[in-house]
Order: sequence, then structure tokens, then C-alpha cells
Amino acid sequence: MLSLKLAWRNLFRNTRRTLLTCMLVTSSLVVIILVDGIMLGMIDVMVGGITKTLEGEAQVNRKGFRENFEPELFLSDPDTISLALATDARVAGHAPRVIIGSMIASPFNTTGGLVYGVDANSELGVSRLKEATYEGSYLSGVKREILLGKLMAELLEVSLGDRIIITAAQVDTSEITQELFRVTGLFEFGPEEMDQSLAFINLSAAQPLMGMNGHVHQIAIRFVDPEDAKNKSLPTLINLNKGDVEALGWLDLQPSIGGMIEMSSYASAIVGAVLFVLTSLGVINSMFMSIYERIYEFGVAKAIGTTPRQIITLVLLEAFLLALMACAFGILIGYLASSYFESNGISMGRMEMSGVLLDGNMYTQVRPYQFVTFPIYVTLLTVAAAIYPAIFASRIVPSRALQRAL
Amino acid sequence: MKTVIETKDLVRKFGEAETQVTALSHVSTSIKEGEFTAIIGPSGSGKTTLLQLIGGLDEPDGGDVLLSGTNIANMSGKQLSDFRRDHIGFIFQSYNLIPVLSAEENIEYIMLLQGVSAAERKARVREMLALVGLEGLGDRRPAQLSGGQQQRVAVARAMASKPDIILADEPTANLDSTTGIALLDTMRDLNAQLNMTFVFSTHDQKIMDRADRLIHLEDGVIQLDETRQS
Repeated sequence: MLSLKLAWRNLFRNTRRTLLTCMLVTSSLVVIILVDGIMLGMIDVMVGGITKTLEGEAQVNRKGFRENFEPELFLSDPDTISLALATDARVAGHAPRVIIGSMIASPFNTTGGLVYGVDANSELGVSRLKEATYEGSYLSGVKREILLGKLMAELLEVSLGDRIIITAAQVDTSEITQELFRVTGLFEFGPEEMDQSLAFINLSAAQPLMGMNGHVHQIAIRFVDPEDAKNKSLPTLINLNKGDVEALGWLDLQPSIGGMIEMSSYASAIVGAVLFVLTSLGVINSMFMSIYERIYEFGVAKAIGTTPRQIITLVLLEAFLLALMACAFGILIGYLASSYFESNGISMGRMEMSGVLLDGNMYTQVRPYQFVTFPIYVTLLTVAAAIYPAIFASRIVPSRALQRAL
Repeated sequence: MKTVIETKDLVRKFGEAETQVTALSHVSTSIKEGEFTAIIGPSGSGKTTLLQLIGGLDEPDGGDVLLSGTNIANMSGKQLSDFRRDHIGFIFQSYNLIPVLSAEENIEYIMLLQGVSAAERKARVREMLALVGLEGLGDRRPAQLSGGQQQRVAVARAMASKPDIILADEPTANLDSTTGIALLDTMRDLNAQLNMTFVFSTHDQKIMDRADRLIHLEDGVIQLDETRQS
């Protein structure tokens, strides 16, 4: 108890220095809490960008379909798959799609693109097509309605009500087929590539256009728990992987994004490591200054029988108390700051990363481990930083220390 | 009376080559249990060096120091720390109290190092404060005490561990003469009451008059060793 009291009081011999060191450690903790929260928020936005925009959290396709969107690679028994998904409690929604690589022409211009034939109701539970429709109206099931991306509409120089001709090759026969549509809505997902090259029509119009009686190319899935999509041993996906049908989560569908997300996690660790090194240098400096000021006292302490180990313990105890104090402030400030940005977000402007639009505010994520694990790291590292000064103090030779003070 | 301190042919030199100074040259002496001994001599005569060597704070370049028959040269650092803690009490010129601890806590600290129980520590602190005449001032920090009071606390701390020997390096140097004499009288009383061995250095004539024995050092050599009637 006396040792604890001595260590605590020693901290406040030079209150200003202690508070400055404390602020340094506190700042590091706050920054690492915020950086981790931002990284989690960014990952969340990126994953959301992939899974909620159009792709879904998982997809069922014929093997090889996603490579070139070959129209012949359709799912031959979509009803069985749909039934399995509809009765699976883990699945929140699924949407069948026909995907046609086609020529899209207006009276003024022509462009190539992918036309998605979708079921308007099912799509509501998987993608955010309806939310992205900023002009006109969402698909209602009427045969000739088409939704165009904002940039495609600009390229084709069309607006609501204008005519669009879709030209595609039919499945199996490869016969060229054409169909007339009228622009009923314009959408904007954000990523340039999507807004320039995608168009949506009703599934009921797409299937006859392609000669695909009842068949679809893809079924997109949304889970009740988004984490299920990352589970490679999830029965929902395993059971659907049969023969030439593959059911993959978004991490397998977009491996490059998975890599990026992994890199983002390392970024937190790198920022943390740099901060901890800088903080450690500050702590070492502060502890050395404190020891140099008390060199006579350490000499006396050793003279009266304090062992080197007891001196090391005292210095480490001082560092431990300093870290505890810093962590108390750090947890409080970190929580307040992180909670504020969790509610209000950090303005990030508008940027696109790997086809994912990061738009508007980045919302940090507050997690309990940030206020347990990080303070433990900070405390351990502060104490570790004090080991060298503590060993120095323990090696002070009493006779020299006493002479120096005189 | 048994011999508690014995030095044999002690040599201590500082510096190297042409700048080398011999602080102690072949000093041999012995001090018996319960003696109240003053090491006297002018500044630079080697008083502090001799006390530091006796206390195991410094290592000699030659010769031996035997405390209660044990040669401290053969001890490891840890053994020497433990020996100092349990057998030697130190009083230094500049009070040497821990400024952030109260007088009571300063006295208690050394007992904490010894592993004395909390109850016994408290009891012994009260006893020591009473012995040095500082009852009621135990909760004050060093800065709230006068120089004389601080040095009394240092005496109490030195005695709290129940050492065999108390070594005091010019304990009155920073005190006015009245306070210095009063402190010496306190040490003298404790020596008489507890039969504790006191060895202190001084160059103050009034202080040395209170010693039983005077060891005169000059240029690192014992010039005279006189025992007086108290």
C-alpha cells in the first residue's frame, strides 16, 4: 500500500509533466479507438456498397456465368432453388434475374450494356434499385417499362417516356431479337460503371425476349444475418452447390474487395503501432526525466536497503498508474468522440473505391472491445516503455548518486 | 564487548593515472558494539569515503571491511542490499527523506522493505517518533518540518530497522549549532539507552566533544585514535 501511495505521489511531483505525458498516452488511445471505429465504418460501407447495391450478399449462378455473362449458362431449375431459399430461415430475401448483354439504342444514340430482367417485388428485398431510382417510377410489372442508369440516359440522350430498343441474341438459337421499351425511370447507384452500363426491365419481359421460358441466369440472396454470407460452411450455400450450379458469398464473388477489407484491418494495426512507438518514446523520456530528478533519492533508497528489484517495481508501478490515469481519460474521450461520429458521421466527400461509392458521411462504429482491448494494450506498452528507465534507476550506484547530489 | 566494525588495510583511490587521488590509504581500525565514535578531519580527509566503505555503499581498491565478522566484499549485490537494510542505519548530511511521504511514512518505508507487519510498523513508527521527540508531527511531510526535525526523522528512520550500526555522515552539517548539538544529544541518548553503535563524521568541535572515541583522519590516513571518558 505504501509503495502504491509512493508511486502515486511520485507521479504528481511534477504535475505538469505527468499531465503532458498522460495527454500523450490518452491521445494515442483516443486516436486508435477512432481509427478502428472509422475502419469498421469504412468496411461496413464497402461491404454494404457491394451487397446492398445490386450484387446481394450471395448469388447462385451457373459455373462460369459470371466470367463472360454467356446467355446459355442459365440455371435450368430455378424453381427448386427459389423454393429452398424461400423455406430457409437464414434467408431474408432472394431475387431471380436474367442478365442480357445487349445493344441499347435510342433514336439518337446507341451503346452496349447489361440489361437485367428482374422481378420488381423480389428485387426490393435484395438490391437498392428502388431507392436508387431518382426520376420516374420503379418497375411495376408493365411489359415495356425500362429503367436506365443516369449516365446511360445522358449518353442515349433520352428522358422519361422516350423509346429504347434492346437488341440481343436469343439463348440456344442465337437469333437476333429486338424489343421496344419506354423509359419509365432513371436510377443512380453511384459507381460510374454501373450508371453507364446497366438497364433494368421486368423479368416477365426479359425471359420471352431471350427465349428463356421460366429460366434465369442468377438468383441474388440477402441473409437475415449478413455474417452468414462469409460463412463458407453455411448449409444454405453448401446445399445449393450441386453439379454445375455454384452458390457463393460476396467474399468469393468479389475477392479483390475481401483483400481490400483485410488491408483496412492492417491499417488499424499499423496506425496503432506507429502511435504506440511515438507514445513509448514520450513515456521513456518522461520517466528518465523523473528518475534524473530523483537520482539522489534513489541513491539513498538503495543505501538504506531497497533492492534493485524493488526500485524497478516502483518505477513500473508509476508507469502503470500513469497508464491507468491516461486510459481512464482515453476511454471517456474516446467513447464520447466515437459515439458522436457514430451518430453524426465524418464528412468524407464523394469517392469511389474498387467500384464501391463512398458517399457523404463515414459513420464510426463503437465496439466494446475498443474500450477493453486497446486500453490493455496501451497500459502494457506504457509499462513496457518504462522498463528501460526502471532498469537504469535500479543500477544507480548509491555512492555516486550521493556524490552527484552534493 | 564484541567488535562490530573492522577495517583491514583499506585503500580507496579515485581518478586515473596522473589525476588519481588516494582518498584512503591502508586504514585499519575496529569499533566495538555500543561505541559512540566520531570520525573527524578536515574536508577531503576521507571521512565520507570511510563511512561509505564501512556501509557497503562503495567498494575498496584494497583491504577488507568486516561487519560483525562478515566480510562484505564477499557479498553479492542483493546480499549487500539485504545486509544494509537489516544491519546498518544511514543518516546523511542533507536529510535524505522522501519528500512525497510524511514523517511517519518515511520511517515506515524501511520496515516495509524488511517485510515487517503493518501493525508492528505502526507501533514502531510511534515508538521512534517518541524517541526522537517528534510526537504529533508524524503526518507532516519533510517540507513542513525544520531542518533539525527532518534530521530527527532521518535518525528515527535509521533506527526503525533495528540495525546493529548507525552510520551518520556529517549529520549536523546543515543545522545551526544549537540544533546540531540537540540532535547529537538525542543520538547520544539513544546510544546509551539501546546500546546501539554510532559512527559519525564531523569537523565541528562542539559535536566531536560528545563522542566517546575520536578517529582523526587526514589525507586518507588515521593520524590519531583516541578514546575519551564520557
